[in-house]
Amino acid sequence: MLGLLGWVPLIPLMGFLILVMAGDQLSRLIISWVGAGSVAVSALLATLIGFEFLDGDMQPYRHIVGSWMTIDDLSVPFGFYLDALSMTMLFVVTGVGFLIHVYSAGFMEDDPGYARFFAYMNLFVSAMLVLVLADNLVLLYLGWEGVGLGSYLLIGFWYDEPNNGYAARKAFVMTRIGDTAMALGLFLLFTQLHTLDIQSLLSLASSQWAPGAVLPVASAALLLGGAVGKSAQLPLQTWLPDAMAGPTPVSALIHAATMVTAGVYLIARTHPLFLLAPTVQLAVAVIGALTLLVAGCSALVQTDIKRILAYSTISQIGYMFLALGVGAWSAAIFHLLTHAFFKALLFLAAGSVISCFHHEHNIFKMGGLRKAMPLTFWSFMIGSAALAALPLTSGYYSKHEILLAAFDASPVLWAVGLLGALITGIYSFRLIFVVFFGAQSQTVEKKPGWLMSVPLLLLAGLALFGGMLQIPLNSVFPVLIDQGNDHTFNLVSVITVASPIIGLLIAVLFYLTGTFSAQRLSDGGLAGTLRQFFLSGWGMDALYETLLVRPFITLSTMNKNDVVDGLYVGVAWLVRGLHRMASATQTGRVRWYGASMVFGAVFIIAIGLLS
Amino acid sequence: MNADQLAALAPIITITGAAIAVMLAIAIRRNFLLASGVAAGGILLSMLALGLAWPQSPAQVTLLMLLDDYALFTMALLLVTGLAVLGFCYDYFKDREGENEELILLLLTALLGATVLVASSHFAAFFLGLETLSISLFALAGYPINRARPLEAAIKYLILSGVSSAFLLMGMALIYAQSGELGFSGIGHFIANQPVMNTVVLGGVILIVAGLGFKLSLVPFHLWTPDVYEGAPAPITAFIATVSKGAVFILLLRFFISTDSYGYNPLLSVFSVIAMLSILGGNVLALLQTNVKRMLAYSSIAHMGYLLVAFIAGGSIAPGLVIEAVTFYIVAYFITTTGAFGVVSVLSTPQTEAGDIGFYRGLFWRRPLLAGTFTLMLLSLAGIPVTAGFIGKFYIFTSGADGRLWGLLAAVIAGSGLGLYYYIKIVVVMSMNEEATVRKAEESSGARISSATLAVLSLLLIWFGLFPDHLVSIIQSVSNTVR
Amino acid sequence: MSGIPVELGLLLSLVLFVLGLIGVLVRRNLIMILMSLEVMLNATGLAFIVAGSRWGQADGQIMFLLILTLAAAEVGVGLGLALQIFHRFQTLDADSVNEMRG
Repeated sequence: MLGLLGWVPLIPLMGFLILVMAGDQLSRLIISWVGAGSVAVSALLATLIGFEFLDGDMQPYRHIVGSWMTIDDLSVPFGFYLDALSMTMLFVVTGVGFLIHVYSAGFMEDDPGYARFFAYMNLFVSAMLVLVLADNLVLLYLGWEGVGLGSYLLIGFWYDEPNNGYAARKAFVMTRIGDTAMALGLFLLFTQLHTLDIQSLLSLASSQWAPGAVLPVASAALLLGGAVGKSAQLPLQTWLPDAMAGPTPVSALIHAATMVTAGVYLIARTHPLFLLAPTVQLAVAVIGALTLLVAGCSALVQTDIKRILAYSTISQIGYMFLALGVGAWSAAIFHLLTHAFFKALLFLAAGSVISCFHHEHNIFKMGGLRKAMPLTFWSFMIGSAALAALPLTSGYYSKHEILLAAFDASPVLWAVGLLGALITGIYSFRLIFVVFFGAQSQTVEKKPGWLMSVPLLLLAGLALFGGMLQIPLNSVFPVLIDQGNDHTFNLVSVITVASPIIGLLIAVLFYLTGTFSAQRLSDGGLAGTLRQFFLSGWGMDALYETLLVRPFITLSTMNKNDVVDGLYVGVAWLVRGLHRMASATQTGRVRWYGASMVFGAVFIIAIGLLS
Repeated sequence: MNADQLAALAPIITITGAAIAVMLAIAIRRNFLLASGVAAGGILLSMLALGLAWPQSPAQVTLLMLLDDYALFTMALLLVTGLAVLGFCYDYFKDREGENEELILLLLTALLGATVLVASSHFAAFFLGLETLSISLFALAGYPINRARPLEAAIKYLILSGVSSAFLLMGMALIYAQSGELGFSGIGHFIANQPVMNTVVLGGVILIVAGLGFKLSLVPFHLWTPDVYEGAPAPITAFIATVSKGAVFILLLRFFISTDSYGYNPLLSVFSVIAMLSILGGNVLALLQTNVKRMLAYSSIAHMGYLLVAFIAGGSIAPGLVIEAVTFYIVAYFITTTGAFGVVSVLSTPQTEAGDIGFYRGLFWRRPLLAGTFTLMLLSLAGIPVTAGFIGKFYIFTSGADGRLWGLLAAVIAGSGLGLYYYIKIVVVMSMNEEATVRKAEESSGARISSATLAVLSLLLIWFGLFPDHLVSIIQSVSNTVR
Repeated sequence: MSGIPVELGLLLSLVLFVLGLIGVLVRRNLIMILMSLEVMLNATGLAFIVAGSRWGQADGQIMFLLILTLAAAEVGVGLGLALQIFHRFQTLDADSVNEMRG
């Protein structure tokens, strides 16, 4: 069964090929069976492989399918590596991915690009699986680029609308910046350690490099750059809110559960390297902390339902980065798992709100949907509870672990995380109260069908009870130092539990009962400016626009008639001129021709006699 | 002269006999098909007669002619080309009004002149062959005698050719005055015995080069080329472009090797200048032409320039490689040019000559095979791999590199680049949409012989491009005999 | 026989050659051009004869015969063409036959 590991990424790829080549001729039913079915088969295989793996004492398993390229002494195989970390990621990608595919079959059923959608989704899933299973850096980079491509194709899926294309390009360009840093990091690692195989690379690094030396710091920093881009952390986070232009299942799959977590996976996978570079690891934590705060504040004032969830995603990944930064590797991955459950749930539920409510995105135009869409309402409730880390939800267990670990590392980081949890509580319940409570402004168009409902149910179950999954990640990661003193444990842990609840109460006061009015609050001058500031994502978009985009466009416009082209145009112009001159010698008069012959003869006699 | 020598002369005698037979056939019964048939038969017989001459080689027949293996090989090449041109001529002229049988006769005498030229080893044979070839060509170029363009072409060709012949003769006279020798090997001995370079002899050789330069359409003696090519009927242009040029070049090569003129460095400088000017000038002039025949004329100037590069390399490398390179290139050039002008002749009607590029617009949609053949020929001219032209150009590069002629090689590269533009331009025009066709040429009925000839030429082109070894080994075996 | 020095003979032939050449280039009438061409060819013939006499060989005179014959053939064709040109263009001006150019 383990030997079938190579098929797991291959089957969605085959699905992609079938849909690309024959998609237009197939019926909707077949397309959805091929699209969702391929992921289902992968999920099934992943489960079976998982059982065998868990039975086998979780020995890391390496499976080489074939050789990709061999140059001199460098050999890059198509190799897949299975350990607890990649096992976890495998479950997330195939399991949640499968549920999202089933949901999409219902959500996209009226869309003319049905086959294209599932083709791109399959391509994405295949690339993501390659990424998490890769045993060498080159293959990982292939998966990395593949998910970037899939993301681009899917964000700009409705390409008729120019803004969607713009959002897709923005995502691609920003992640590209990170990808370049990562590529440089890979080059550095390769040239210094002469291997690309991840496991041997990491053990070589640990033995050869001293902690804090230039090389591990540089390579870890470069890899961090790649992770930051892909996971939409500061400073490369502005693409994610705009990426909501894509269909909602895309946001659920790519921008909640899988692609944006690739950065977290990368850092977790290469954690020995980060252990060798404590400054970089600290930077990871700081970036995570700052991001979660910035994003949380921005989520607080958004009005578009998907943008709230997008900023929320950025914020939650900030938590994962924070965990990685303080050395709580297992906690970070655990949070990745639970986040996949509840964020996918939230996005899918948001999707059913959007599709059943006149494609409306503005939450203030919705209201009182609690009675009209009960399933969606309860999904949102469960998802938001998990998001806010209310006790006993899956999100609670993972976030709690992170915050406690943060406290042990640095109380400042813990305080930031705490504030973030408070804000998370506020905005997640703000969303619920505004959308589902209050007066209903319009009637619901239609109810979600079973294709959309069943995945919601399953994901809700996972979001609630997924916290009980004990993933044995200790086989991969070094165990974190013990939880510290007991009494600090109690006080700290009480405050940690309390802060989301306080956030919930604040939200109740503002949005449910109307005791305070957010409107009045933000009308005031300072608060109003602050609100604008948060709404625009802390002004980072505008910053990048003036700093980078404008100058680049100006330079490009100046070079419109390409300077380099001038060389070629110049050559053509010169030759044309020569032609005209030469043509003038062909006068058509025979005496002229004779004269030129005579001159020619004299000329060559002169050359002959003078040389 | 004994029987052996007569046997060695058999091909030439056969061609003469064929010419006389055609004359008699015209006198008996004026029929174009009959005359063509007799001529074709005569050429074929002459090729068979090569088999008679082969055992005798190398045969010095009187002082005038040296029929060695190389001469016989070249004669075969000329005869085959003549046959192909005859085929094109038949289809071109058969529907034309007027008495066209003399055309066939003149074609045979031109072939006679050419074959004598490549076998000559004495100034007299040189001059006789050259003039026979030229005078026949004057009349051939002006053939549809009632039209303006061919007349203009013919008179220009005549006057300028006369001037160049005069230069040639003056050069010969100067050499004779200094050396007392008219035979090539004698001259070679004379030059070898000279302690210093004799200025008069040098001047004489340069004058000969000027005279031959006209025939080879090298810059600055090239001005007649586009006008004559454009004015003459397409099959005749094919003949001028191939047989006339090829025979003269082979003669030049033999002359230089026999008289060992390679030792004279000033001559090499002269040739280098001429080659550089021809390559660049030919390509630049062809660039924006709208008449296909003119374009092909200018491109032939450039091709002669390329050939000269290999020729010049003989100053530093062994003659064997030079002969091999030159001969292969000439074979490839013959096939390509005959094919290209053959296409033009197939497209021409008795009313209009298919010169202007408007005739070729959308040709791929109207007559795909013809357009495909033309594309193949153009690609070979450009030197694209898979065609024989590529192998030829490769040879040029090899000899140039061996001879360290870096400046000339740079010119070849630049010229090839320029050439690609106007060759591909025609291909593009041919693939343009048919609605934009400016002129719809009437579909000429059943140019069967021409089509068959074109097919054979295309196949040969690709065969030599992919498997040149056969041809190369043949050339190598015959070129060893050139002294 | 002391005779005329070779150099002078050659010089004479060169002068004639150049005269003929100038004639070809300067005259506009086709017939005059053909005549000048004939002068050029005969000048070379003279050169051959002079050279032959210098070396005491008959080759020079044989060449002259050949040159003469072929020059006659050439000019014969030339006159035929001149006739046709006159029929067609109604003029014998060499510059008027210049339809093809560029």
